[in-house]
Amino acid sequence: MKHRASTHIFILLLVVALTAIAHYSIHYGALIRGYETSPLTAGRNLFLLLILALLPIFLSRFARFQGNWTLYTSAVLLFSIGLTVQYRLFSDPEYTSRKDKAEARQQKIKTLQLHYIQENYSAEKKQMMGLPATPPSPVDLSQEKPRPVEGDLTDVFLSGRTLIPLFSIACFLGAFILFSRDDVLTFLQRNGFAVVLLTLVPLLLAAITSSAGKSIGNMTPWEPAKIPFLIGFAAILSVLYKNLARTYWGVPRAKDVIPLVFMAILPFVPFFVLKDFGQMMVFSAVYATLYLIAVRRLPQRFVLVGSVALLLSILIVGALPEKTQEKIPLLPTLASPVKKVLPDRIQQRFHLWLDGFNPPTPETDWWKEDYDDYYKELVKKDPNLPNLLEEDPNLQKSINIDAWFDVLAFQPAQATFGLNSGGTSGRGLGLGFVELIPVADSDYIYAALAEELGLLGGLLVIFALLTFVSAGVRTALDTRDMFSKLCVIGLTAFIGFQALVNMGGITRALPMTGITLPFVSHGGFSLVTSFVMLGMLLAFSHRNAVDINQVQSSKFQVQS
Amino acid sequence: MHNLLFFLQFDWNQLRPENLFGGQILERTPAGLSIVYVIGIAVLIIFLLLTFLSNFRRPKFTFEENLPREVSRKLTTTLANRSLRIWQFIFIFLAFFVYGFHVYWTYFADDNNEQFQALSYKDLRNRRTNAARLRGWMLDRTGKLGSALAYYKLEPDGDINRTFALEKEMAHLLGTERGTPGLERSLYRQEADATPEAWEVLTRIKRPADEQRDVKITIDRDLQAFLAEQLKDKKGAIVVLNPQTGDVLAMYSNPSFNLSEARTLEDYLKLEGDKRNKPFLNRAMREYYVPGSTFKTFTMVSAFRAGKQNTTLTSTPEGFIPFRGSRSITDANGGCEPPFGCTTLNIMQAFEVSSNQFFAQMAVDLGRERIRETAGAFSILAVDTPEDALQAGFFPDIWNASNDRIKNALAPQQSTIVTGSKISAYDIGLEGMGQGYAGQMTPFQMALIASAPANLEGKLMKPKIELDLPPQMFSQIVTPPQAAQIREIMGLVTEGSGGTATRVFANVRAAGIRSGGKTGTAEKQAPVYDEKTGKLKTVKKKRRNDKGELVEYNAPVMYERTDSWYISIAPLEKPQLAIAVVVEGGGYGAAISAPIAARVIMKARELGLLGEEYRPKTQVPKTLPTKKKGKTK
Repeated sequence: MKHRASTHIFILLLVVALTAIAHYSIHYGALIRGYETSPLTAGRNLFLLLILALLPIFLSRFARFQGNWTLYTSAVLLFSIGLTVQYRLFSDPEYTSRKDKAEARQQKIKTLQLHYIQENYSAEKKQMMGLPATPPSPVDLSQEKPRPVEGDLTDVFLSGRTLIPLFSIACFLGAFILFSRDDVLTFLQRNGFAVVLLTLVPLLLAAITSSAGKSIGNMTPWEPAKIPFLIGFAAILSVLYKNLARTYWGVPRAKDVIPLVFMAILPFVPFFVLKDFGQMMVFSAVYATLYLIAVRRLPQRFVLVGSVALLLSILIVGALPEKTQEKIPLLPTLASPVKKVLPDRIQQRFHLWLDGFNPPTPETDWWKEDYDDYYKELVKKDPNLPNLLEEDPNLQKSINIDAWFDVLAFQPAQATFGLNSGGTSGRGLGLGFVELIPVADSDYIYAALAEELGLLGGLLVIFALLTFVSAGVRTALDTRDMFSKLCVIGLTAFIGFQALVNMGGITRALPMTGITLPFVSHGGFSLVTSFVMLGMLLAFSHRNAVDINQVQSSKFQVQS
Repeated sequence: MHNLLFFLQFDWNQLRPENLFGGQILERTPAGLSIVYVIGIAVLIIFLLLTFLSNFRRPKFTFEENLPREVSRKLTTTLANRSLRIWQFIFIFLAFFVYGFHVYWTYFADDNNEQFQALSYKDLRNRRTNAARLRGWMLDRTGKLGSALAYYKLEPDGDINRTFALEKEMAHLLGTERGTPGLERSLYRQEADATPEAWEVLTRIKRPADEQRDVKITIDRDLQAFLAEQLKDKKGAIVVLNPQTGDVLAMYSNPSFNLSEARTLEDYLKLEGDKRNKPFLNRAMREYYVPGSTFKTFTMVSAFRAGKQNTTLTSTPEGFIPFRGSRSITDANGGCEPPFGCTTLNIMQAFEVSSNQFFAQMAVDLGRERIRETAGAFSILAVDTPEDALQAGFFPDIWNASNDRIKNALAPQQSTIVTGSKISAYDIGLEGMGQGYAGQMTPFQMALIASAPANLEGKLMKPKIELDLPPQMFSQIVTPPQAAQIREIMGLVTEGSGGTATRVFANVRAAGIRSGGKTGTAEKQAPVYDEKTGKLKTVKKKRRNDKGELVEYNAPVMYERTDSWYISIAPLEKPQLAIAVVVEGGGYGAAISAPIAARVIMKARELGLLGEEYRPKTQVPKTLPTKKKGKTK
């Protein structure tokens, strides 16, 4: 099997065909529930994929791309899975509409009920219900009147869901062309520290204007900050790693350490203000990756590993749910000062992660406020409630459970139930109840995918990701200078870790943090950033291949 | 040429996905296509990995060739690349670690995670699948679709709603969707898997679905509606069983509620908060009453079981004194019951006039062991101390039902009796006449006590609610001749000259129905509620706490409520009904409860429940009952 562009174009065309099949499945599933899906949106999705499938022709012909196509193909594969799941979600009127959600739901239920009656009820029963008296018979979907789709051609093609991917593809090409050039890379490497300072600009702006990890609606404009951070850090580290090896009584010089410490703190401060702990986790993981790869001395590696372990243990000790803490002696005493400092959001997330199906008591300080709000709403409806509570202490417990699952735990709990109901092969595209999970198109897309495609669908994402990461590591292995090596592994790690943190949050292997699944999730800045990173990776891969080809041709000349 | 023609004639519709995967079941098409999609993408990823692996090794650079091993090992690239490989392994491990949690939630959480199981009702998917998959219809004992108790109705706005024929009358039996489950939530066989996976849809699902079939229950729709009418504006309960089969013909507890009123949380809480009327409480099965004289039936059955039915005992004006220094037990009026007066009575006379002295003496004579044993046969929990009696729970095993969910949904509160050696002979005497420590009986239990001698073979049949189940015996109470004898004695209450219900049952007798029964009047301590606010009335009292300090607390104000009881069996030759009626604060048993029982018997006769030979010859004009129905609605 030759590693040619044509092979990958073939694979990508098959991906387009399979995506078309999946879209038809979603369309059919929608008819069963009594609504129509938009053929325009389906066409748009296939068109986007087709552009991506045919892009290799352009790259190999005009840009003379010689690098590793596996990176590109696996990323497009992830993107196609994402488009499919998003199509499922955005077709569902119950998921998309804000005003008549309840009505859309009622209509869906009614359609299913009528189908059931037609298939199972005897003529006599149907007559008693006031329906035409027909014997039990299979439903004919062509006779049904499904709820029509909203939106016309311009709506579909001028929406963000079309323009953002197109813009991402453009950015991808730009990044590829830009980073293929030697002079750009040399410039960036020389001015590493200035590039790092660039990082701060969007982050600080965002930190001032935003709240709760999201700014201006659901946008995360600091996503692109990843790239300058990475380039700057790689530039600094590629110089410093040699100096760090020079130690005086086992300690490196201060002027070599200070930039590293600065870089370590850099992502923490703005994200702490932004309360975006997912990005904090991803940035720290990337930082650790680069550091451990560049630094050679064992004690220096231990310094990082040790300090990360210390930070983590402090965090975990502080945020563990009380029930778990009580099992270990001394822990509650140790935890109480940490608890006071930790933001409520972290404590909530930790509780949701470790003890999500066990509501905290209403007295817990990070839960009290939400509970009180919920309780006040109830009292508004039923003024007699406080009296009832006095008489019946169990009532408060059940109100607390209701509040917990209606307010904080609603989304994660529904996602977990979704994972559970998916089973091995999933419910089938269009047959699950993914519309019950709020914002399932971005943060929780893995839950939606797992419900309708099951464990196997999850395995697809994991394997596509592993292929991508392995290809990235391969590219990093092939690079000849430290700067490129660190850049490549940094880009790979950013995408890989972000995916793991996202999926880990949904499967409850990690606390849920609200970051997107790269290439799969529906997103603005995150999708653009992911595609730019892909472009950079391809550029580095291309440079490696060019280098090797030159070497090989020179070898050939020497031998001849 | 022929082949080409065949090709042209080929029906391309056969290749449509609907036809490939089995078009009758709609879900099969998307399920099959999804599986095709997953497999296709999986194959592509494997293909991709193969192309990647085949180009795995890169050629070496010139300077790398012929380097000594020691040197190449120390090269920066080599060191960094080793770290890269380690990092890759760590990443792969982490990816599968995360995936492992996905596997956990799909396969293991159902069995191992208790909190997850307990809160799985919070899964909105259940509600959605339940709403779409309609329950079967609930039919009454006639089995006609026209007299369905629960069915689906097409509303004018096109909604399909579950509707109940006797929404208020059967509320306790049907149960709410929110609180304690009833028949609605337990009667229908749940599908093994309401949320099938794609491959299960392809291989297992059948149409038309054979689950969720309609269920016939033993309740008689008209009789149930009649009971609700009888208890209008009263608090109490009526239970009607068929003693031969254990069929529950009707069971009603008032105050009741409308099921539609209990749908939203606010309405539900409002009903739950009504502590004065307790509309959610099924008084027929889950409220304790002091059984009073009706419990003498139990003592009589015990006497028969012990072979002491021929014992005669003497009543005295000063009453029965079980041991020296004890208080005396006298008859209701303070001396001896008329018309026999203070003489030696046999069991028939004593039962007819409801002699307290006789049954108290009989209980002491029988002794704790025999009472305990009889109680066990009647499913009454015999405990050692009064404190233990407070611990009694539900008793689902009394039911003859096809599954445990039904048993649990209908489980009665278990009645108790104290027989331990710590209580005195005086207390045993009181128990013999249905007072004292026998004071925790449910109306349902009393109907069971009536039904055992009413059974022609002297068996206590397990009650059942599903019509098609074969009858099951709970225990053999007495021998068939003894049962006949007991029935005759019970008949004296409505037929004997001194019988406590003789006057009330005159019209029943006139209709040619012989019936037996027992009246009861019992005092129970009950809390007082404020007339206006409906709140519990309390007084401030002081008591010493554990540390010996005086603390103030709110004690509820209690008053003595006189409950009216009647248990009945009819017709005496071959009983088809065993009835227990209790009306809270109703006064004498003969005054309120016995007339209700008489009317229930007459209604059952009209409905043909007593057997064809008892059906009235001249049909009662049909307009009458429908008129009444109109009023209740």
